Amino acid sequence: MKRALAFTGRNIKELMRDPLSYIFCLGFPMIMLVIMSVINESIPPESGMTLFQIGKLCGGILIFGQTFIMLFTALTVSQDRSGSFLVRMYATPMVSADFVAGYTLPLLIIALAQGLMTVAASFVISLISGGEFSIPGALLATAASIPSALMFTGFGILFGTLFNEKAAPGLCSIIISLGSFLGSVFFDAEGTGGVMLTICKIFPFFYCTKCARAAIALDLSAENFLIPLAIVSAWAVVLTGLAALAFGSRMKADLS
Amino acid sequence: MYAIETKGLVKKYKTKTAVKGIDLTVGEGELFALLGVNGAGKTTTIRMLACLSTPSEGEGFVEGHSILTDKTAVKAMIGISPQDTAVAEKLTVRENLAFIADVYGLDKTKAKARVDEMISMFGLGEYENTRAKTLSGGWKRKLSIAMALLPEPRVLFLDEPTLGLDVLARRELWRAIKKLKGKMTIILTTHYMEEAEELSDRIAIMIDGSFAAVGTLAEIERKAGVTGLENAFVAIAEGGRE
Repeated sequence: MKRALAFTGRNIKELMRDPLSYIFCLGFPMIMLVIMSVINESIPPESGMTLFQIGKLCGGILIFGQTFIMLFTALTVSQDRSGSFLVRMYATPMVSADFVAGYTLPLLIIALAQGLMTVAASFVISLISGGEFSIPGALLATAASIPSALMFTGFGILFGTLFNEKAAPGLCSIIISLGSFLGSVFFDAEGTGGVMLTICKIFPFFYCTKCARAAIALDLSAENFLIPLAIVSAWAVVLTGLAALAFGSRMKADLS
Repeated sequence: MYAIETKGLVKKYKTKTAVKGIDLTVGEGELFALLGVNGAGKTTTIRMLACLSTPSEGEGFVEGHSILTDKTAVKAMIGISPQDTAVAEKLTVRENLAFIADVYGLDKTKAKARVDEMISMFGLGEYENTRAKTLSGGWKRKLSIAMALLPEPRVLFLDEPTLGLDVLARRELWRAIKKLKGKMTIILTTHYMEEAEELSDRIAIMIDGSFAAVGTLAEIERKAGVTGLENAFVAIAEGGRE
């Protein structure tokens, strides 16, 4: 565990000193929050469209922001693999689990910081626009989005392990697009219904957003909060397990 | 007991055999150079000894521990400075060293003492709060070796430590390496004749995955019938193997 924490410390410092982490992990979600709020102001109330009202938007952006955590995880892992740094680390007593924990923990911390900033920005927007917004609900949503952050970190480690530093970000872009569309971040999947809703329900992203939005609304019902949370948690366990397996196999192959 | 011992060590890749059954013994405190052109099998050999690559055949021991079955014990007593400077680019010199101390589980007092010692030993004081990515090649290489030395390894592997450095940086690094002589066993790979000549107690000339000659400089010169390591290397390379 000490070795994993040492590696976590190194990764946190490396991430915090990369300007891209601020732009992608903090800046971009904030920009989207502001843009969508401006769009919301232009939507006539009689349209009945509530997707971009700050209470719902905050939940969507919480998850959208986490997709960039995935991108950053993939970049960190693939860049470490491309140089000799991991070779040096392989020659130390560190084992595969130390590496996976060391990559996961800092990104979870960044995801939490990102979530809290999104909540703070949403609160400010709610004061300006007068939209309904529950601070306790938003804080609960931040806590409830830890499994989804773990899931996206798992995706990131998986892509960073399996692909090089050029291919991994490209694949993450696909997941970012899929996550925002199929996650019902920027369109109302349940309102649309039909085949689109069925497709959305196949992927975990829909449940991530649904769970976060329900938490903000303090709707802790099984249908809207508990079941989606359980589904996302299951995906998080599977993805983290797959990431650990992939990293372990890659390490074994590198050392063969 | 030897610091390093190998018996018929072989490394095969799909289409190539990189190391062809080497037998080697290196004594405690010896500085042993693996000398050869690019692709001779030097890096592959130390990768196997550092448990970074599994031998296809044969066996090797580091301080009596098998590189096949006792990797944890081997890793606990070695340090390696890879060919490319393997440092955390966005960490400062001091942070890089402290990170290695944490990985090896040194307590805070001991870690600080070792970090200070490494900074002093390699003259890194001026740059201790400088991020590694802004250091010159020579300083990065010194940091890389300092990181390898920090956990007080009994065997240190230096893979082409002066590759790509200018003549002044190379001489400075030689001085740093000379200071380590006798304190630990050092295995150094190089393709610079003068480096092997200047630094090592014994030299193995590696050609195409095999040892063509092993011995002190005088022994190698005697075997080749010429003076100077470069002349001896050429004579041995052109005249076939031992």
